[in-house]
Amino acid sequence: MIKIENLHKSYKMGSNSLHVLKGINFSVEEGELVAIMGSSGSGKSTLLNILGMLDGLDEGSYILDGVPIKDLNETKAANYRNKFLGFIFQSFNLINYKNAMENVALPLYYQKVGRKERQDKALKYLEQVGLKDWATHLPSELSGGQKQRVAIARAMAAEPKVLLADEPTGALDSTTSYEVMDLIQKINDEGNTILVVTHEPDIADMCKRIVHLKDGVIVEDKKVKQVRASQYV
Amino acid sequence: MFDRDIWQEIFYSIKNNKLRTFLTGFSVGWGIFILVMLLASVNGMTNGFYSQFNDDATNSIFIRPGTTSKAYAGFEKDRRIQLRNDDVEYIKKSFPKDYEHISARMFKGTSARYKAETGSYSVQAVDPDHQIIEKTIVTNGRYINTNDNISAAKVAVIGRKVAEDLFKDEDPIGKFVEFNDLPFRVIGIFTDEGDDNAERRIYAPVSTYQKIYGNTDEIDGIALTYNSSYDLTKSLEFSGRLETILKRRHSIAPEDQSGIRIWNYAEAFSDISSFTTVLRVIGIFVGILILIAGIVGIGNIMVFIIKERTKEIGIRKALGAVPGQIIKLVLLESVFITALSGFIGLLIATGILALVGPSIQSPAFTNPSVSPSIVITATVILVFSGMLAGLIPAMKAANIKPIVALRDDK
Repeated sequence: MIKIENLHKSYKMGSNSLHVLKGINFSVEEGELVAIMGSSGSGKSTLLNILGMLDGLDEGSYILDGVPIKDLNETKAANYRNKFLGFIFQSFNLINYKNAMENVALPLYYQKVGRKERQDKALKYLEQVGLKDWATHLPSELSGGQKQRVAIARAMAAEPKVLLADEPTGALDSTTSYEVMDLIQKINDEGNTILVVTHEPDIADMCKRIVHLKDGVIVEDKKVKQVRASQYV
Repeated sequence: MFDRDIWQEIFYSIKNNKLRTFLTGFSVGWGIFILVMLLASVNGMTNGFYSQFNDDATNSIFIRPGTTSKAYAGFEKDRRIQLRNDDVEYIKKSFPKDYEHISARMFKGTSARYKAETGSYSVQAVDPDHQIIEKTIVTNGRYINTNDNISAAKVAVIGRKVAEDLFKDEDPIGKFVEFNDLPFRVIGIFTDEGDDNAERRIYAPVSTYQKIYGNTDEIDGIALTYNSSYDLTKSLEFSGRLETILKRRHSIAPEDQSGIRIWNYAEAFSDISSFTTVLRVIGIFVGILILIAGIVGIGNIMVFIIKERTKEIGIRKALGAVPGQIIKLVLLESVFITALSGFIGLLIATGILALVGPSIQSPAFTNPSVSPSIVITATVILVFSGMLAGLIPAMKAANIKPIVALRDDK
């Protein structure tokens, strides 16, 4: 599903250049649930941003679902993002003047899905995350966990190949975190490919595979026995 | 453009930011308001100027004899030039294609009496064509006709004021009024848009007056209108030819300015036209400057809006919005705000003009108003300026990298 070879990325910080990713080789099969771990500054978010086409790469190759991702202009990147990827952010990033359903329907709008179908689909995914009754509520009327579930429904709505979660539980307390992870696990159980960036070991243990990043290189890549989040809920 | 969702987005954005929208719109609405008012004022001045002239046909030429200032062709200087009936015939024959209406004119004063009422008035003895040249409006009865002139009938067309003075409440038509003790039958009453003094005038057939004044063929002047299809250049060229030929006929030196005077309305008119054109250009120029200030204001606020919505735009891009869609969103919002607020400004301005305009009737400033073409132009300017104001912020918004936008809050 994802294949990355010899990935390099550096940022210019004034006159200095900061080499963030120093040759990453990494691949993800369909249906995997991968945790990308690392301390702050290890390059894990940068890796996720490149995977999410929110940022370009300097060197190396990136193939997503058989499509080489290169020479992206903004329009092309947007189309790929819309087609291939669903994002879950730490700070939820819901649009605050749109209600839950409209937020979920937004990626479908950019897929040029018709209005009625958009609403139906949005409601379907809201139901899947258990928030159908909250469809007409604004984000400000939802709790953190609910917001993240709306965000997950939104990421799912476009039916992407890969879900990318950047510290999905970073802004949540542990109980809510487990609820969200439970939801992510369930989505993965249905065969969806999910990448989770986290620095919390207990969250990482709920994935099926852990990739450790340190100073821009992968130091460890191991399969783990998944801890089901449902037992904590 | 007519995508329901994009409009919903715009209304959301406007609804949630009322003050911001108001401030944005105000600058453009104000700009349009001032532009319209300015152009209307220019129109008012133009109307004022033209109303000073519109009691005569604008294509008229007046010929009056004078006294020569140069000795020429054996004649001494200070010779008085006398126009006669055959001068009129001569012009008719010489310029059949150039003139439309022509009339001899005699200027006399008279004391008029009807029953106990008396008054002194100026009499213009004229030909029937004179009605068109002077744009005389006959409200009752009729004007002098060809038969009156052939038979040298003692008939008169009197001004409204004359009728009021002499006849009070009586209907003057058909009554006899004495001019210098000679009875004249009143055949018509006229009004004049020019001024009240013109309505203290009396028209009579020129042949009648020539008969009264000793069977003469002398006249005091000639009034004519030239072919109305002539533009300024052609009309000036025609009055030039007229002058040359009349000077030759009366043996006046070609460079002698005082022997015969030819006064072409087009000349005075063109001066005023160019004056009002300059005024209009200044009006438009100042108005556009004000509009530019408004547009810059909108652009300014749009930049701010984009800054505020950076994160939202980042989210949209992460969800698959292409730059074109972002540009469309921002641009449509700015066009919508500009157009709406501009229309409000336009509406208020035209409303005020419609209410107040017609009641303003001073000589220099009459009925300030705007034509539909100004309204259409303003509308086009509005939509265009909205685009312009939104364009740079929109492109800026479209180029925000989603990563930068999303990092914003961290």
